[in-house]
Amino acid sequence: MNGASGNGASDGVGASRRESVLQRRLSLADMLDLPSFVEVVRSFSELYRVGIKVMDTAGDKLADVKVGHGDFCSYVFGFPEGRSRCTATVARVKDGPVAPVQSARPARGDGAEAAGIIALPCFTGLRYLVMPVRWEGDTLGRVILGPFTPEELADFPPSLTDISGVDLSRAHELVGRVRRVPERTAAQVLVHFGQVLAALVASGQRAFLATQLHIEAMLETHRDLEANNARLAQANTRLKELDRLKSTFLGTVSHELRTPLASIIGYSEMLAEGLAGALNPEQLLYVRTIVEKGESLLNLISSILDLSQIEAGRLRLVMGPVDLGSVIQTAVSSVAPQAQRKGVELEVRLPPLPQPRLAADADKLRQVVVNLLANAVKFTSSGGRVSVVMSEATAQKELAAQGYRVSVEDTGMGIRADQFENIFQSFYQVDGSSTREHGGAGLGLAIVKSLVEGHGGRVSVESEFGRGSRFTVVLPLQPPLSEHGGFSALAPMPSPGGQDRF
Amino acid sequence: MQLNHAQRELTLKIVYYGPGLSGKTTNLRHLHAKASPEVRGRLLTVETHDDRTLFFDLLPVFFSTSSGFKVKVKLFTVPGQVIHNATRRIVLQGADAVVFIADSRRGATADNNAYWRNLQENMKENNLDPSQVPVVIQFNKKDLPDARTDAEIEESRRRGGEAVVGAVALRGEGVLETFHAVAQAAYRRLDMRAHLARNLGLTEAEFLGQIFRRMDLTGTALAAMYGRAAGEARSGDGR
Repeated sequence: MNGASGNGASDGVGASRRESVLQRRLSLADMLDLPSFVEVVRSFSELYRVGIKVMDTAGDKLADVKVGHGDFCSYVFGFPEGRSRCTATVARVKDGPVAPVQSARPARGDGAEAAGIIALPCFTGLRYLVMPVRWEGDTLGRVILGPFTPEELADFPPSLTDISGVDLSRAHELVGRVRRVPERTAAQVLVHFGQVLAALVASGQRAFLATQLHIEAMLETHRDLEANNARLAQANTRLKELDRLKSTFLGTVSHELRTPLASIIGYSEMLAEGLAGALNPEQLLYVRTIVEKGESLLNLISSILDLSQIEAGRLRLVMGPVDLGSVIQTAVSSVAPQAQRKGVELEVRLPPLPQPRLAADADKLRQVVVNLLANAVKFTSSGGRVSVVMSEATAQKELAAQGYRVSVEDTGMGIRADQFENIFQSFYQVDGSSTREHGGAGLGLAIVKSLVEGHGGRVSVESEFGRGSRFTVVLPLQPPLSEHGGFSALAPMPSPGGQDRF
Repeated sequence: MQLNHAQRELTLKIVYYGPGLSGKTTNLRHLHAKASPEVRGRLLTVETHDDRTLFFDLLPVFFSTSSGFKVKVKLFTVPGQVIHNATRRIVLQGADAVVFIADSRRGATADNNAYWRNLQENMKENNLDPSQVPVVIQFNKKDLPDARTDAEIEESRRRGGEAVVGAVALRGEGVLETFHAVAQAAYRRLDMRAHLARNLGLTEAEFLGQIFRRMDLTGTALAAMYGRAAGEARSGDGR
């Protein structure tokens, strides 16, 4: 069943593709630019003062120029017998075989035989020459030259004179306007015309095929691109789904890890406090190590949980009026012991009163500052300095709004400019080697970026490699409302590209 | 193949395929020069502005059979440049046989392989079964340094089912032989499918004879097979 439908589909693809112009048999009209061809026929006719008709094999006229014979023919056509004889002659000329049969004979003249030209008499004594249009072994149509008056014609034949009512002197007067020419000359004109026509068909065929093939190639390329786009879109949808599953998975696993870990830490603390009896100094050291390592593991898991919630779009910010100065102070006090242990000087510069207030989630903002400070301390060696500077509430060009600017600056190892983009990605480490000196999961800055952007702010980095770095967070006084009326952190975009407009 | 019983016409399509600059157009130019005007049309060459980027060429060869059927063999080249894959695919549509022009130089092996795979893909895209559409391989540019030796070409022939012909197309060597091999293969395939001999009265000998007796085969092994008549054709041509 599957196989059958599969075959059907591939047949469908083959059938939906148009047959190429190269597979088609071209008509004379396909290969000629008709308006300019008609011009050529007209100038030929006028030069030689003989009418020329060009017809394709379907009997359609491509060009038809009448010169000289119009009045004479109309006059003869005015008599019933003339009309019927004229109709028969014209039918023979236009639709009969281009061969020396049915009253036709090979025309006289140089090259006339090779060109297949036949001579056909008109009942009036006038004459037509008809030449097949041959192209690559095919006959594409015919060229009709005439009628002209053969030079040897002395007088009208009985087939004209026996028509009752014809005024012969009037007929003589009118036939005088028809070109009188030897058949040889007329045949030469026709041979020459055939050569011009062949040249026109050759260039016309070339132009026609090139144009058509260009169009076909373009359509074919378009078809290929569409198929590729569909494949990419499908792959993209699948990747997005996998990404969401990953975040959900991380969130769930982190939660399941945290619960037993909290028990391990809790029970270890109870042991350390002697609730289960006194410990000797060695036991106490071991248990404290368990607590300490347990807490760093818990921090790591919390970061993963935060990030996975942000990525899954589930993190909600609890907004309220926040004193940014006190948030910074709290953050500084939480990294101060670490800085002290390492011998790194911590400096805080806050604007004087009034109290800097903005609408934000205080806990999340503290996390932002703590992450930046902890990073700065981590990458600054002993004797260095980390400073956090906060601006007054002023217009911020990044936000096109009023807001605060908080910079965390260090004298640490710095970051190369080519890493500026990457450091805000989850799990990214500038030093990715397994022997790296500094620990961490590479989540701190990703969380900072998500939280800051969730507040409608921006985070950026400047650094001079080997001299130090400065991370700057710009926060608006009032974050923009999200579409749900609440505030939520934006999931970081997995790929560059605009957001939906509608 | 397009067979029109009403008009008594048979049209065959042979496509010259291969990497850019491997000599496809050179093959067609030589055939055009060697065919007498009564069996060949104009060589249509469509080039883009950059004269190395050939778009495609078309050389029609035609004759009437003794039973009054008009036979037309259309020879096409595909553009070799990588970007013209869509055009290659279109030109390949409905091919009855393919000549793959490979560059004999060892350094061109990767290119030959890439275009060979491209041919297989495009045949598949056109619903052409590679086991049904005969392919003749021409190892062109045999005179250049670094070209494969005859022994290597022979070994390459044994590796696959395709007929293999060595050539120096610029000097005309191997061009008529390649065309003969592909015309014969195309005829045999179509005779199996449409019974040309039985239904049209067109035998292999007549099919090939109608074409090759009207070509200047001087200096080729084919001259012995069609030689006498070829001389007549030349003198009939007035040259």
